Amino acid sequence: MFIITCPFCGERDQSEFSAGGEAHIIRPKQPTELSDDEWADFLFMRKNIKGVQFERWNHAHGCRKWFNVIRDTSNDKIHAVYKMGEKPPSD
Amino acid sequence: MLNINFPKIEKKDYPNLELNLVEPIHKLNLRGKNRDFFTKAGRILSIMLPTEPNTSATIKSISALWLSPDEWMIYGKDIDKNLMLSLDSEISKLNLGSVTDVSDQWVLINMRGKNVFEVLSKGSPFDFNKFKDTKNVTVQTLLNHVDVILHQNDTNNLDLFVRKSFSEHLWLWINDSSRSL
Repeated sequence: MFIITCPFCGERDQSEFSAGGEAHIIRPKQPTELSDDEWADFLFMRKNIKGVQFERWNHAHGCRKWFNVIRDTSNDKIHAVYKMGEKPPSD
Repeated sequence: MLNINFPKIEKKDYPNLELNLVEPIHKLNLRGKNRDFFTKAGRILSIMLPTEPNTSATIKSISALWLSPDEWMIYGKDIDKNLMLSLDSEISKLNLGSVTDVSDQWVLINMRGKNVFEVLSKGSPFDFNKFKDTKNVTVQTLLNHVDVILHQNDTNNLDLFVRKSFSEHLWLWINDSSRSL
């Protein structure tokens, strides 16, 4: 269990949130031109690294807004939280 | 219109805690972003919708609760059909935002007394330390794994909104928790 700072509501327990997987995956502009392997790669393949990872989270039991989190998956330390559409902090 | 079947919730008294069903009462969900939406909603309701997170505004017996940056819940005994029609015609029909009657979706339970937060802390992951000392604050969180909206009107006087389908279960849980205070 850990605390996540929702960019809208403030600090809340992790149980109020749902994880939305890896962040910043860009949908292909022309999906029909992709091969099956490329499409499967976009749909299913995720990094799932042990260490610092960019993730999407949803405050499902609060404001229901989506946002991005930079989290170290090895120790759940959260390095940064930023809104959708914003660039990740450079530090 | 509001005389539908509500769960069998009767007033209960526990040590320093009083539980009461506050129904029927009108509840509206407002959504919108632009300046015209804020102006129209403010003029019709005579309330400036709160833009600061986790806060509320109350004038007479109408309260506006901040739910998210573009969503509010309005409730109170002064909400009548004319006010709802005004909101509908001046906001919904002009596509400035949405107005939804959620009176039947949420059940309002009032909790008052010194032990309110003792009970809530038993089943909620939310840290009530700052919340309990502040008036006119609101929070959406979990209570016994059920979504709730909490609005503190006054010190130790709290309105709890729960979805109707969960209300009886949560009511029983609150009573169980209150017995062991």
